Amino acid sequence: MSHIKPQLAKRFGFSVLLALGIASQAPAQGPAAVAYPPYGSAIPVITNTEHRSGAVNEDTQKMPAPNGPNEESIWNMKVEGFNDNQARPIYQPLIVNQDGREIMYNGNLAGTAMNPLTGVSESNGTSIIDVTNVKKPKFLFHIPGPDPINGSFAAAGAQMVRVCPGSTMPNAAANGIAGKFFLLRAFGNAGANESHQIWDVTEPSAPKFLTTIIGGLSNTHKSWWECDTGIAYLVAGSKADGWQQSGSTQHVYIYDLSNPAKPVFIRQFGLPGQQPTASVATQQPCLNAPSDTCYEGTTNPPGGVHGPVSMGTVVNRVYMPYGVGASGVIQIDDRMKLVNGCKTSGPGANPNASSNCKNSPTQADLLWPQVSWVTMNPENGGHSSMPVFNVPIPEAQSNFGDGTPESKSLLFVSSEGTANNCFGQAPHDSWILDIANEQTPWPMATLSVPQFPGNFCGKGARFGAHAVTEQIYPPYYGKIISVSWFNAGVRVWDIRDPKNPKPIAYFIQAPNSNTAASCSTINGVTNCFNATMNDYVEYDDRGFIYAADRAGTGVTILSLTGEARNAILPQSEQ
Amino acid sequence: MRIQILVYSAGLAMCFLGASAARSADGWATAIPPPARSTDTISAAKLAQVKPGTSTKAEVQSLLGAPWRILQFNDCGMSMPGQADESWDYRGKNAKGTYRVHIEFDDSDVARLVAKIPDHAVGVKGTRAKTAPPDMKVAMKM
Repeated sequence: MSHIKPQLAKRFGFSVLLALGIASQAPAQGPAAVAYPPYGSAIPVITNTEHRSGAVNEDTQKMPAPNGPNEESIWNMKVEGFNDNQARPIYQPLIVNQDGREIMYNGNLAGTAMNPLTGVSESNGTSIIDVTNVKKPKFLFHIPGPDPINGSFAAAGAQMVRVCPGSTMPNAAANGIAGKFFLLRAFGNAGANESHQIWDVTEPSAPKFLTTIIGGLSNTHKSWWECDTGIAYLVAGSKADGWQQSGSTQHVYIYDLSNPAKPVFIRQFGLPGQQPTASVATQQPCLNAPSDTCYEGTTNPPGGVHGPVSMGTVVNRVYMPYGVGASGVIQIDDRMKLVNGCKTSGPGANPNASSNCKNSPTQADLLWPQVSWVTMNPENGGHSSMPVFNVPIPEAQSNFGDGTPESKSLLFVSSEGTANNCFGQAPHDSWILDIANEQTPWPMATLSVPQFPGNFCGKGARFGAHAVTEQIYPPYYGKIISVSWFNAGVRVWDIRDPKNPKPIAYFIQAPNSNTAASCSTINGVTNCFNATMNDYVEYDDRGFIYAADRAGTGVTILSLTGEARNAILPQSEQ
Repeated sequence: MRIQILVYSAGLAMCFLGASAARSADGWATAIPPPARSTDTISAAKLAQVKPGTSTKAEVQSLLGAPWRILQFNDCGMSMPGQADESWDYRGKNAKGTYRVHIEFDDSDVARLVAKIPDHAVGVKGTRAKTAPPDMKVAMKM
């Protein structure tokens, strides 16, 4: 373990013990020490020491075929714990170390279910679960979402969650937020009067509503909150703001939430061609007809943003996937220019910013922070775009160039499969982009799950990529990547040789009596299926892996075993 | 009898709407109509009266009571092709064991399909659903 920094090694060793189930399940002591995005701006150093032949010549285990439909399938993973999430369908899970307690926040899709803690049926909102002891997760609280409007839940749900400690915010003491924790959540989904809210979750079993950041929204989606600066990138749309999109109608609202009780609006942002003044009727694609009034991507106006990922002040980049499941664009932005681009002086400022830059920017205002953009094929959209920096390339540790060992920065991109039984859609995959030269991102490899064995298009529910894990956990960083794959479950790849990513583990949750049926009509015949849909997979800072089910089956807590565990261990400990 | 059912349904619908309107701005005070307990089972005879293509939410609720769970899967503001606007889940039991009753509604609040999904049927690939007659499916844009 000598190649790992001492502080990291200590955390790493403790985490591995926990992951192996050797350590007791006693709560960790002290506050979280993580300082990686979104909690800080440091980036882990990757110290892989793979053989120069990489993964190509490794004697590796063949990926086993999954069990039949309705059965659990697991490979190189172990189930550590489970919670039913009150049978609510989960969209986004997030696990936060709150002063030694590991607290899980689940953003739930719309609907309603009984809350056994209150004896009341509550509109799906945010579930709060103490997972400190993974063997016995304890459901602490459910913050309800919006009630139905005229009997319809189409506008309900609270799918997205972010949590920041007040202590890491600027001016924490002056603002009286040191020692507190705050939840940022979407409130509503596809209605016309939604909002983003902040709750005080210092005591997660008794959350307190703090404020509404912005209301009157529609189509709220996955936001990002920098816990060391307070800058938040909120995703939503609004008919009143005049922004224009095809498909999913969202763009970005940037706020300073460093004092969570007093949000400060900074600007709105999106792709060129989406701004309120864009001439959708006449504008041409920027790709082959660049002008002052063009649109980026393949659809006019471009599809909405799904969820920005900021890598903080040091890297100074924000990664934005647009289009979700079709006509995708991946955009890389200069964070400083993005946040300050409507100012005319100071760091990141644009001396030529227009007077309406904050709400109705010109194309030039939108181009100011843009570093580069990639147009995806129209069959796929941008759902996730998560960078991993400086991954050593095994074959390029000598002999190439001047012989200097080469590392590459990578961007993991995924599209979203949206159709039950694959009917009416193309395959949706995940990809590794080489962003070593970020002006010219270039595909390096595809992360794909084969339809067979498993007959995933025939087993019901959705099959295809969805979300790339966004939590940075150093022992995993640059070694493995996890992607949720709906009915094909949690999928884990060994990326130590990123030109040749290797499937190394999976988990497909078995349906239970809470699993919502997935129905589809094909060639005039409608069948309903009993299949789980892994919506998101996330890590905690101990290395446990959380598989959240979109079909209401619950959340499963996992650890790595076998070859997958070896992938994260130094060779001396394998 | 039909009139009685309609009056009852209308009453339930009014309760539903009234309760919905009672929420506070922060979403704290929810007031969804009382559901069946998640373990309660429904009558197969009453379920047979739910007609895809014609039964409304209010009519389903008057027949079966409130569902133990309601789901609405649309996200990103996108309507997913071929997928329901909203679904209601009930529980049932027969000689073969327990099952879930899954009723999907279209955006006009009319039932578009009804399915019974066995809880413990390992290896089952799918369960044929009861849907609206073909001519009604066209009108419902299924």
